[in-house]
Amino acid sequence: MQSMELPLVLFTVFSQAAIGVTLMRAVRTTADGAGSVDNDARREWGLIAGLMAFGMLGSLFHLGHPLSAPMALKHLGTAWLSREVLFAGMFTVVTVLAVLAAGKAGKPVLAWIGTLLGLGVIVSAGMTYAPPALPVLNNALPFTFFLASAVILGAGFGSWFAEGERARLMARIFTTALVVGLVLNLAAPCVWLSGGTVMRMTGQAWLGSGFYWAHVLVLAGCLGVVWKTGTVPAWLPVLALLGELAGRAGFFADTIHTAANMGGLY
Amino acid sequence: MKKQYAFLVDTERCIGCFTCAMACRNYYHQVEGVVWRQVHPLSEEIYPHRERAFLSLSCNHCENPACLNVCPVEAYTKREEDGVVVHHQEKCIGCGNCIRSCPYGAPKYNPVEKRAEKCSLCHERLDAGLDPACVQACPTDALQLIDLAEFERTNEVQYPAGYPRMEGLNPSTRFVLPKTPKMVRR
Repeated sequence: MQSMELPLVLFTVFSQAAIGVTLMRAVRTTADGAGSVDNDARREWGLIAGLMAFGMLGSLFHLGHPLSAPMALKHLGTAWLSREVLFAGMFTVVTVLAVLAAGKAGKPVLAWIGTLLGLGVIVSAGMTYAPPALPVLNNALPFTFFLASAVILGAGFGSWFAEGERARLMARIFTTALVVGLVLNLAAPCVWLSGGTVMRMTGQAWLGSGFYWAHVLVLAGCLGVVWKTGTVPAWLPVLALLGELAGRAGFFADTIHTAANMGGLY
Repeated sequence: MKKQYAFLVDTERCIGCFTCAMACRNYYHQVEGVVWRQVHPLSEEIYPHRERAFLSLSCNHCENPACLNVCPVEAYTKREEDGVVVHHQEKCIGCGNCIRSCPYGAPKYNPVEKRAEKCSLCHERLDAGLDPACVQACPTDALQLIDLAEFERTNEVQYPAGYPRMEGLNPSTRFVLPKTPKMVRR
């Protein structure tokens, strides 16, 4: 088991929650093509900015020298981490602008700009955490995990700001994302079991991990609650957030590095 | 091909004495727990004999280094004159991205400096016309410094069993495989 990288867990999950809420806000406010009933824009943008600021603050604790964090923008040419920092910075600026600019109704254009920048964060984070040293993740899987987290948390927390038909829309998106997340998380380690040595070691580590099973149980539990009630109760997004935090801790702690098997068969 | 210094690991000659690793440690005095060169025994699945065989490994000074490509602060450079990948520790912010990305585990985290560090192929010794400390110390000549542009042996391999195959990175280290031991029967 490697380090669970708590600062990175906080950064990735909270930033994806912020991006997801922004995406759902953009979807919700343009769902019927005629604008929306939107009485709570400042509060929603405040939540988005708060989630993002907490994630950004958490990420600093991952660095050996946090005060030098702005230097991470230097290598935009090839380093996906530099691009991730750039997109995350721009997304944060948009969320702060949106809080300042939002009246009761908000500005849909900021939601769409935020969504595009947020997708930039998710793509670049997906590439950053897909290095050749982690064979099970050296593909599009981190991106799909992160996107699923963003949509689950976005639809969950977005339901706090939706009423009537739009609340039902959020519940449908939340349910679909939970199913996708559950299938991804159940299938991935099973596929790895039939791979090379390091892939198999990772599959076994995930399937024997409390983090992994806590995440899967929370996803299944959330799905059960939505199926039973037909809505997203106010407490459910918080449970989903805890599940995503557990899953992300396992993502970092239980994924085996190629160097762990040097001298053995690959 | 441009000049590219590399390690040649002759596993037939290597006796697993760890002198290379100790020489590296004696020369650089890394903090406790930080190891730039490590000697890995080949598993019995790969070399099923009573005799053991070893891979002595450190940074591979790749043609397309993962560490250099992923570093967000440009703390890594590849020297034009000999292809050595150098880590400039004063620029490092300790994000650990190189450590996570290098499939050979070459960069290590220094918990005292709170920055990464790795084998520099003793480039300051190379500039002075000397061999790297590990090469100089090897008692069996199992570890040698070669220039891939001029290297003419034909029995070496780039990816022996027990070593990750990463064609995108094109690691420069070359290996001579161990032979099957001679069995003397009475």
